[in-house]
Amino acid sequence: MALALTARRAGPVPAPLRAKRRRDRLTVLAFLAPWLIGLSVFFIYPLVMTLYYSFTRFDLVTAPHWIGLRNYEFFLTKDPKVWQAVRNTAWLVVILVPARMIFGLGVSMVLTTVRRGGGLFRTLFYLPALAPPVAATLAFVFMFNPETGPVNVGLAKIGIQGPLWFNDPAWAKPALVLLGLWGIGDLMIIFLASLLDVPKDQYEAAALDGVRPWQRFRYITFPNIRPVLTFGAVTGVIAALQYFTEASVAATVASGKANVGEGIGTTLGYPDGSTLTYPQWLFVKGFSDYALGYASALAVLLFAVSVIFTVILLRKAQAFTPTEESLR
Amino acid sequence: MKRQRFFATLGAGLALATVAACTGSSTAAPSVPPSPTAKVTGTVEFWHFFTGREEAAIKTAVADFHTKYPDITVNVHGGQDDEKMLKAIAAGQPIDLALSSTTDRAGKFCQSGAFKDLKGYIDRDKLDLTQFPDAVLAYTQFNGVRCTLPMLSDVYGLYYNKAMLAAAGVNEPPKTLGELTALAKKLTVLNPDGSIKVAGFVPLMGWYENAPAHFAPSYGSKWLNADATSAIGGDPTWQEMAKWQKDLVDYYGVDKLTKFTSGLGQEFSADNAFEKGKVAMVIDGEYRSAFVTAEAPTLPYATAPFPTGDNHTDLYGGGYITGNIMGIGKGSTNPEAAWLLMKYLTTDTDAMVKLANSIKNVPTTKAALSSPKLEADANYTTFLKIFADPHSSTTPASPTGSQYQDTMADFFTKWQTGKVSDLQAALNDVDKQINDALALATGP
Amino acid sequence: MSSIALEQIPRAASMTTPTRRRRRKESVFAFVMRWCMVIALSTVFLAPVIFIGLTALMSNEQALTSQLWPQSWHWDNFVTVFQKAPLLTYFANTLLYASLSTVFMLVSSVPAAYAMARLRWRGRNLAFLAVLTMMMLPPQVTVVPVYVMWSHLGLTGSLWPLILPNLFGDAFSIFLLRQFLLTIPQDYADAARIDGCSEFKVMWRVILPMAKPGIAAAAMFSFFFAWNDYYGPLLYTSENPNQWTVSLGLANFRGLYQVQWNLTMAMTLLVMIPVVVVFFLAQKSFVEGVTLTGVKG
Repeated sequence: MALALTARRAGPVPAPLRAKRRRDRLTVLAFLAPWLIGLSVFFIYPLVMTLYYSFTRFDLVTAPHWIGLRNYEFFLTKDPKVWQAVRNTAWLVVILVPARMIFGLGVSMVLTTVRRGGGLFRTLFYLPALAPPVAATLAFVFMFNPETGPVNVGLAKIGIQGPLWFNDPAWAKPALVLLGLWGIGDLMIIFLASLLDVPKDQYEAAALDGVRPWQRFRYITFPNIRPVLTFGAVTGVIAALQYFTEASVAATVASGKANVGEGIGTTLGYPDGSTLTYPQWLFVKGFSDYALGYASALAVLLFAVSVIFTVILLRKAQAFTPTEESLR
Repeated sequence: MKRQRFFATLGAGLALATVAACTGSSTAAPSVPPSPTAKVTGTVEFWHFFTGREEAAIKTAVADFHTKYPDITVNVHGGQDDEKMLKAIAAGQPIDLALSSTTDRAGKFCQSGAFKDLKGYIDRDKLDLTQFPDAVLAYTQFNGVRCTLPMLSDVYGLYYNKAMLAAAGVNEPPKTLGELTALAKKLTVLNPDGSIKVAGFVPLMGWYENAPAHFAPSYGSKWLNADATSAIGGDPTWQEMAKWQKDLVDYYGVDKLTKFTSGLGQEFSADNAFEKGKVAMVIDGEYRSAFVTAEAPTLPYATAPFPTGDNHTDLYGGGYITGNIMGIGKGSTNPEAAWLLMKYLTTDTDAMVKLANSIKNVPTTKAALSSPKLEADANYTTFLKIFADPHSSTTPASPTGSQYQDTMADFFTKWQTGKVSDLQAALNDVDKQINDALALATGP
Repeated sequence: MSSIALEQIPRAASMTTPTRRRRRKESVFAFVMRWCMVIALSTVFLAPVIFIGLTALMSNEQALTSQLWPQSWHWDNFVTVFQKAPLLTYFANTLLYASLSTVFMLVSSVPAAYAMARLRWRGRNLAFLAVLTMMMLPPQVTVVPVYVMWSHLGLTGSLWPLILPNLFGDAFSIFLLRQFLLTIPQDYADAARIDGCSEFKVMWRVILPMAKPGIAAAAMFSFFFAWNDYYGPLLYTSENPNQWTVSLGLANFRGLYQVQWNLTMAMTLLVMIPVVVVFFLAQKSFVEGVTLTGVKG
């Protein structure tokens, strides 16, 4: 019998029950209080303020000055670089996310076939995901150095002229994808658990019917793991929309500039703006150029796009919001 | 009656001034600060951008100041770039004295009030502004508001490897960019597989100190009009520069150049490509000499003014000047002490000469420039001469900071990789971006 | 909904399930293919780590070349790193940031998750939706006003703007804890209530001890996130090097100290070690916790 804090009764409510209900409500309030404060202070308030700032010119040192829709107008018509940032982020959403999903699924499927030592390999495959993103990016940029890095040296040994990787605008983002695949561990773990959770009897029945492997995947495996795939896809998209660290570290390191006294704003996007993601441009505009009003406008637009994906998730999330029965 | 009217007018005037100050930019009309009645004491939070060897030199200068003013303690914070300083000022952190590595943000600092207007202090203490050369006076103020003073300058010129030139039978540095190009081709050494082993000159924009701003004095190119709008599209010398640059890039091949540069050492490390003999000629600042002495003392190099465009030989002898600027932070809790430290570092001849000798930057007062204590070897003298040359120029101040230079750099990135077909149209587009950004930052 | 730990899954749960009647012998081909893939994947995942390790032991000159095997072994590189950068300070800062964040998170998020999972009240679903939305929001969207707020409080230049918000709940942790708490059967709680325990006692004495794996998982996620955080410290502490965390210190190591790749790689390894150690010590709970965020659907 679940605790019913809002049970209804016919007739007047006796005093002891009223007191109990009030105590229960207070309990809930007490438990929720810190989070409610956090919700207002760190979520609702900043959202409202960001919206306000997006209509102003604000450089952090002087007070905000209202300019109406000029920031949005600037975004639409006067900031060519932002479109490059939008394209780069969109590229990541469209390429990086599916790549990780497919690779993650592939790796976990291979792992399900390993009977002995499965735990060891699972740990091994997970380890790269534990590396701090900065460290992993540094290592990759170093490894993919066009002249001296082991990747190109190895390719040269088998006769392939390696590309310039992080120094080539056409290859910088693919190199970031490779970095993302190396850290596939977190997705792999979830997929693996889900794959192992598929009811065995369904497989047995299929084996008896002589179902081919591809059909088995399509009709048994896939429907059973679909919620996990959805979760992975949506969180992957959200992460792609926020992609900042790896791209900025890769750009600063690969460009070789020492940035004495210049700050981080001058090297982001190297090479040729190909790694400039939307959040990085927001950061540059806000905290390098101090056009905080414009940065807020960019933030509002990013929020709008994230909301769309949140709505998609919430539709799917009905699947993992528990029903009444499961609370019993 | 008269007295009443006088006070009424005074009150009205004050009210108007207050209203004007509140609705306009936050830089209110500077009041003349009263002379400190007591001796100035206390702590000065001094933020600067130097690191490593150069930071030690600043610390020495500060120690000397403390000897002269034992009641003032200076807390030094090194490695702070402009971004960090602006953030700290905005957050209300007490920065008393700030040293910025570049003149790019003088416009922003002065216009937004991040640095205090110094007029009051200058007038009160009767600081003689004529002791600073005109060029540096120009980049320390914006729109009539002087919020910074110059402290040490950077001057750019040509560094060349004497041995490599001699091996090719050349004993004089090139004076025009045409000569430079020919010499660069001669000095380049290729590997058996066709990749670059040693480059005569790397023309890629964005590599080391290759920036449009540094090449502008070679052509006398104009950046901005007096109202900070862009003058680039209308100035044909930019097209000359672009064509020269692209010709040399295409000679090497932009892919080969990128592969070559991506394998070179970091600019301010001991693996600097020029110091390691991987590039024969570079454009760099006078500070490079100090690095070479410390990191590659046997390098056979010399310096000269950077070559000019083929049609602009009259400009020879000049170069790009920039410098460091100092200001008193908006939220300073001890502006008088900060002002004393600033005056010491920017005008005390001995202090400036000592600092210039150790960092090998160019001093910014006429007295220091002509001081007998200034150690000037042949290479350093080159830059002193460039600094004094009337053809030298700097990048103008703008409320958008260095945005216009970044836009130009973006253009060159596209241009050198062959993505621009109509040069004039592209430059007009640069104009538009610069003007749009200006309008967003300063419009009604 | 019982929680399934990977260890509890019978080893025989593979795609080619043996039936009771006959054991399907898999072909040699399939065996070889499978192990080829496993070995190939292992190489791919391990090779960068080995490369980092080898480079960390090289001399600086050799690190710039393409030779892979160190000609001289410089174990002292690991010591030099501590001399060249205040690595101990970075570790201390990061440890402070990560542990305080985690503790604060637990204090604020566990009760909230408990309320959302095990108590019934009007608006519970709405609250959960709010948590989900908070999770999905990119931090860059709210960074400007939050930064201004912290600067007015005078806390920029330190790690407090990153630590203190955890006192007010962390959306991802609430989500994870809620999912886990939902899996605990009601019977234990009901028994305690019948015995007259207050809600708080029920939570503290009965449910939370059973929720240890979930709490451990949430704690570890929080710890790893803080340890690896680059954007947060970049924003709030970049002007104050003595407040830098290991991520920020590592990223700036190549700038300030005239990059030496061998030392940079040594520092990379040093930064990775604590995280790996923590993971090894608490693998089981972590995997259980990770599983539960996505599996049930």
